[in-house]
Parts: sequence; structure tokens; C-alpha cells
Amino acid sequence: MHIAGMIAIGIGVLFLFLGSFGIVRLPDVYNRLQAGTKCTTFGCLFAVLGVGIVEPAWFWKALLVSLFVLLTNPISNHALGRAAKKSGVPLWDGSVVDKSRDFPSYANTEKL
Amino acid sequence: MRILISCVLLVILSLGLVFALEQAPFGSNQIDNADKPGRFYLNQGMEKTGAANVVTSVVVTYRGFDTLGEVTILFIAAIGLGAVFHSRKKVKRYEKEKQSASLILQTGCRFLFPLIVLFGTYVFIHGHLSPGGGFQGGVIIASAFLLLFLGCEEKKIPMKSMNTVESLAGIIFVGIGLAGLYWGESFLENFLPRGMDYMLLSGGVIPIIYIAIGFKVGAELAGIVAGLIERNP
Repeated sequence: MHIAGMIAIGIGVLFLFLGSFGIVRLPDVYNRLQAGTKCTTFGCLFAVLGVGIVEPAWFWKALLVSLFVLLTNPISNHALGRAAKKSGVPLWDGSVVDKSRDFPSYANTEKL
Repeated sequence: MRILISCVLLVILSLGLVFALEQAPFGSNQIDNADKPGRFYLNQGMEKTGAANVVTSVVVTYRGFDTLGEVTILFIAAIGLGAVFHSRKKVKRYEKEKQSASLILQTGCRFLFPLIVLFGTYVFIHGHLSPGGGFQGGVIIASAFLLLFLGCEEKKIPMKSMNTVESLAGIIFVGIGLAGLYWGESFLENFLPRGMDYMLLSGGVIPIIYIAIGFKVGAELAGIVAGLIERNP
């Protein structure tokens, strides 16, 4: 049980490290948001659940915390990305796809 | 070359961290390692105040006067901000650029707002039992209001009643302090029964003070956020 929890915490820490690495290395806002949200959500989930496995008395609290991380982190990422797109932050030059052009509400944000 | 230097610096830094943290007594009994005043508070704090959380017993009873000062500083900061923002006429020219929040944010806000308020309330009601307290719980509640400002713009927050809550909480704090002076010996003295240790109703006036602080900090910070958003520069 202890070892399983430690392995889960290790996976979480690894993903958190990769997320922070991605924030430094990736080229533009949208890619960095991806690194900063996907990796931290997954990493937090595993780290917190690992703590819950190591200490069985805290398991339900850890489950609640991970549920809230799972709920709030993508919402904040969505809000940040949408605000960046609406205020006209350009995509990286090497980007290959921009699905927001299909939606009329994003139409006048290109030239800013 | 740069990579080499940065690698060497990283190794030096991590070695320094390792040697520094080696000295720290993680996981050992901290009472034996504490210095004399620290040992006093760790040993006697629980018996004298009835608060299982030593930090709370120090913050609310031993240096309760200082906490009153902290709350006052926050209050003065909120007043100053309000004075700065209300001195000019309401600016309307940014209204048309404002766009409503997306469906995801609105739904999330509607779903999360009560849960965040519940969590903040839990943190400040259990301030004398577990880590946390009035300031932390108040800040969590203020973050719930920030989410409300971002996500549900159609919901108007009644700032008048917020200000009333804030003033009432401050009056309750000072009133409890004066009541301690009247029924006890000093300002903020514990004049209520101690109750059973480690239960929710324990510690005498400590939970009441922390609930007042929680309401006060939450209302104040929500007011600051509202003032900043109204200006919308």
C-alpha cells in the first residue's frame, strides 16, 4: 500500500515537472496553457491520490481535493485561453490549425 | 558553454539545498527541538486556551491585539481603495467592449460558487481545530466572489449588505474584546466556558472571533475586487 502510494506520488511529481518544463520551453501562450493545465491536473491528481493511498484515513478528503482540481483547473485554463484569443494574442508561427476561425464570435480578433 | 555553467550552478544549488535541509528535523518531535518560548506555547497553549491548533491559540489569544491591528490595516486599505475609486464619475466607455463569459465558465461558476463558499466557511469555523482560520477562510470566500464576478455577470452582488456584514463583524470582534475586559481581566480574555477539547464547540471565544474575522476578511476582499472590476481600466 505504502509503495503503491509512493509510486503514484512519483508519477504525479514527474508530470508536474514535465508541466513546468513545458511552460519554460513551449513557444506561445496556447501551448504553454496546455502544458500548464494538462500536466498539472494529472500531476496534482496523482500526487493527492497518492497521499490518500499512503494515509488511508485521508483517502476521502484526498478524493474530494482531486475532484475539485479536476473541476476547477480546466475551467480556469479555458477562461485564460479564451481571454487570450479574444484579446488578440497571436498564435505561434509554426501552428498548423486554428479552429477558432470557424466561429463568428472570434472573427474580429485576428488583426489586433 | 552556457549549458555547462548552468549545469554546474544547478548541481551547486541542489547540493546546498541538500546540506541545508539535512539539518532540519523532519518527522521528529518538534517540542524537544523548540527553543524556550516555543516550547512554552506548544506545551501550555492547548491547556490554557483550549484550541487544538497552536497557531490559532497564539494568533487569537496570546497576540489577539495584533490580530485586531491586522484586521484594521485591511479595513483601512479597503477604505482607501474605495475612496480612490469613488472619487470620479462612473466611466461608461468600456461597456461596449465587455463580452459575456463563455458557457463553460458560467456553468462552472454556478456549480462551484456554493462549494467554494462552503469550503471557506469550513476553514474558518474549524480554525481552532485544524490548519486554517479566519484570514484563510475569508480569502477563499473572496475568491468565490471573484469567480462570480468573472462568470455570472448578471448576478449583482449587494455591496451595501456586504459593507454591513463587514462592519458588524468588526464590531463583534471589538465587542468580544471589551467583554473580556468586563468579565475577565484583560482585553480579549476568554470569558466563555472552554468546552470539550478537540470538539467544534471548544476554546471559548476563539471560534467566535475567527468566524467574525472570516466574515470581515471575506467581505472586505470581495469589496476590493468589486471596486477594481467596476473601474475596469
